[in-house]
Amino acid sequence: MCAFKYNPAASREVYNLESGKYAQQCMQCGLCAVTCPARHLMDYTPRQLFKMLFAGEVDKVLKANTPWLCTSCCLCTVRCPRGIPIIDVMHSLKHYHFEKGTKAPVATLSKVFFDSMMKRGRVFELGMTNAYYMKSGFGAIKDAMKMQDVGMAMMKAKRLPLAPPKKVKGLGDVKKIYDKAVALAKEGH
Amino acid sequence: MAYSFYPGCSMEATGKAYGVSFEAINKALGLEAKDIPDWNCCGATVVANVIGDFPQQAITARNLALAEKNGAGDILVGCSSCFMNLAWVNERFKTEPEFAQKCNEALSAAGLQYNGTLRVRHLLDVLVNDIGLDEIKARTIKPLEGLKVACYSGCQTVRGVRRPDFDDVERPKVLGQIVEAMGATAVPFTHAARCCGGSQQFTNVNMIYDLTGDVLEAAHQAGADVIVTPCPMCHMNCDAYQKKINQVKGRNYDMPVFFITQLMGVAFDLKVKELGFEHNIVSPQKILKRFGL
Repeated sequence: MCAFKYNPAASREVYNLESGKYAQQCMQCGLCAVTCPARHLMDYTPRQLFKMLFAGEVDKVLKANTPWLCTSCCLCTVRCPRGIPIIDVMHSLKHYHFEKGTKAPVATLSKVFFDSMMKRGRVFELGMTNAYYMKSGFGAIKDAMKMQDVGMAMMKAKRLPLAPPKKVKGLGDVKKIYDKAVALAKEGH
Repeated sequence: MAYSFYPGCSMEATGKAYGVSFEAINKALGLEAKDIPDWNCCGATVVANVIGDFPQQAITARNLALAEKNGAGDILVGCSSCFMNLAWVNERFKTEPEFAQKCNEALSAAGLQYNGTLRVRHLLDVLVNDIGLDEIKARTIKPLEGLKVACYSGCQTVRGVRRPDFDDVERPKVLGQIVEAMGATAVPFTHAARCCGGSQQFTNVNMIYDLTGDVLEAAHQAGADVIVTPCPMCHMNCDAYQKKINQVKGRNYDMPVFFITQLMGVAFDLKVKELGFEHNIVSPQKILKRFGL
């Protein structure tokens, strides 16, 4: 009996994401795996992730911390011999996972960043930090306490202004562009 | 030379020292960099996680359209993360007609459009290719003799457009050339284009400890007196997290971290008050003292 089952329908769903199709180009050379500076913290290397996508093991891919640890440093992307824009694939996987309601810390951070950006057109770093900890619950607040000294040093050096940045005059335009772009993205890539 | 300047959100907050010292350099070199009127946030490397790449790129493109309409010249960016977004969207406008059309459709919702007539330039690119090393040398009043510098270009600075642009994507040399034009020594530095861990401070702080820790160790091993960077994220991680890394990793680094614009201000003998050193967390004093400041 074969213990391994391909699930092409699940693969197809991911390949149809914004940059999902590029994952199909992977030839499993592993250069991304030895390149990634965060590989020692990852459940699976990008190469393994692409292999899992190929097999249709999407649930496993969505449980992996791999995309959430990608910092978009772009080293794998400039090295990939198949020219796969790996950071774009990671963005698409994260977006896909976000839409499925993931509780990954980076998803929460990304959401508060986006909210902050859409509130004034520019990001309010201190406000965003507070919102992140409020949203993340007790565990994160405990972590924040451990980082208090860094925060205090930042405040002392006047690098976390208490007042938010001025609102962009064309904030309405930013919203209109966003709404239209989301609609266009839904129409297809 | 005139430019449309994109400061980005961090130059007003966590990267304040960059914003302040950039302004001093802007004046000293006569860059005529004026803010893009009413610019908006580019979304950094995180907003795509929530809304997808295309909508983030369309929001970023508003800045390109505004700059083109304003007509002040090519776009100059200091922040490496902003540079990555703006330069990449610009690249897509120029090389992918379908993308350009779709993006313009989104921009038209706000009565804007972008014709792809501008270049998006990183500050290092402008310094070395427009201003030139000779001019930087000529402007240097206080040569930084004997100063050993670890030139930390950062990852998104050199890989923002994903292929060699103004510098090598893995072994950057431009920052070192600028530093040497001012009389300092750029020490051989293995981590010049390695990631510092970016914005994972809250979400996975171990990554900052490991990656920024490696950068600090490499600078230390190279015998550097100071780390110099053009990236607000690299600066924050190396500077604000250095003490924490000392605690966690049992190290004893005391490595000042300067923005390139701060170091230029020192070499150009600008007023030290205008260089934003009060925003540095690891004390810059031992470096400043060497140059009588």
